[in-house]
Amino acid sequence: MALLLNAEHAFGLEDFESTAKIVKFAIVPKKHEEPDQSPKEELMSFEAAMLPHLDAAHNLARWLLRNEQDAQDVVQEAYLRAFKSFGGFHGSNGRAWLLTIVRNTSYTLLKKNHAVDLTTTFDEEIHGSGHESVSPAAILEHAEDAALVRKAMDELPAEFREILALRHQEGLSYKEIADIAQIPLGTVMSRLARARDKLKECLAAQIVKEK
Amino acid sequence: MNCEEAIRLMDGYLDGELDPITSQGIEQHLHECQKCDQAYKTQRSLIAAIGNATPYYKAPAGLRERIQSSLREEITEDPVRNGVPGAQVLFHKRHQEPRSIRSAVPWNWLGLAAAILFAAVIAFNLLPRPQRPGADQFLATQLIASHARSLLANHLTDVASSDQHTVKPWLDAKLDFAPAVVDLSQKGFPLIGGRLDYLDNRPVAALVYQRRQHFLNLFVWPVGADAGGSTKAMTRQGYQLLHWVDSDLNYWAVSDINEKELQEFKQLFEEQVARR
Repeated sequence: MALLLNAEHAFGLEDFESTAKIVKFAIVPKKHEEPDQSPKEELMSFEAAMLPHLDAAHNLARWLLRNEQDAQDVVQEAYLRAFKSFGGFHGSNGRAWLLTIVRNTSYTLLKKNHAVDLTTTFDEEIHGSGHESVSPAAILEHAEDAALVRKAMDELPAEFREILALRHQEGLSYKEIADIAQIPLGTVMSRLARARDKLKECLAAQIVKEK
Repeated sequence: MNCEEAIRLMDGYLDGELDPITSQGIEQHLHECQKCDQAYKTQRSLIAAIGNATPYYKAPAGLRERIQSSLREEITEDPVRNGVPGAQVLFHKRHQEPRSIRSAVPWNWLGLAAAILFAAVIAFNLLPRPQRPGADQFLATQLIASHARSLLANHLTDVASSDQHTVKPWLDAKLDFAPAVVDLSQKGFPLIGGRLDYLDNRPVAALVYQRRQHFLNLFVWPVGADAGGSTKAMTRQGYQLLHWVDSDLNYWAVSDINEKELQEFKQLFEEQVARR
């Protein structure tokens, strides 16, 4: 499924939300004034800088796509895109730079697959009510159950899965998250708070289901 | 700080992303309000538990090799389909694309590009220029961030007073310069207070004014040795910025009001300062 992403999409900041964009990573053409660096050498330095972040790249793609095969394809494609624009990368935060590309590549595939949950159109009817009976203590008790947390998290919209993975698993700062998710810094805190609330609701729903 | 604010800022506090003064405000509130303290403890445990229990999907064995071989293929002129199990051609079109950007660009164009670049570098260095545009851009980003942060975290003022004779001594005591503080409430820009901030690698004064429902941060600090004296206006991310220099002080006004009103503010401010 879905192996054919669009190759003509050069790495860019694709628009998935209507919010204002802050473009963080300038893409400049590969440097022409250094013809002495062979492609081989460039590849070596690319691999040295980017392969250490392979787990982070895979984890983000896996959460976004919820499918192992898609995640691997997207990570492979993201690495190719990253390599092509590596000449334009002069920053020090290789992980954030790579994750931005992984994120954009993931959304390209989600969009292509017409994934319905790109942004928050959360069904409040289903998820918003009926679980108030579950106490915070009960949620807390179940929050250590990895399988339950995974199920609850998979139910969230992509923008929530993404921000929870970036914060809880990669431990990124709000600034880095703002760069990667291409949202204003001020939105990070409120989105993270909403994501956690929704996760709690989904956990409560799972607990009710299991009873 | 009230409960509503404390709850709104709770996640930022738990993530250690608030400025020290706001964090202190929350701590104080948690100390005083048992209900919020309970909510804080629950949320903290939940975040910790969720963080521990969320499965981390490490890259499976073989993905690294798959990527490395596809990258090698990318730089090889005559790609040989390798037999790595699981390796897939993701994009059929790749082979019609030039193998590398470098080989596709004729050398004489590169020569021309280099000449233009060279000329641009010379021109850039020869032109008298008080500050590089990059520095301005960077400063503008800092200014907007500072303005946004002051509103986001409800940390608008360190000294909240509409009385210029309260705000000015407070700032003077904290800074190595004495910014002019004037109240413009007669003219529709009431003074809300003052704040210390850190910009351009030094502590600066931030005067806070209000215009209807909008806030305006006026950042003030002494002119450095290389600073220019020109008045500048710019728009960034929906914010208006206006810069001017007066009596060896740098002024940067940042707000989401329109440019005309911001210019009007500058004029009123300068008039009032001159009258003192």
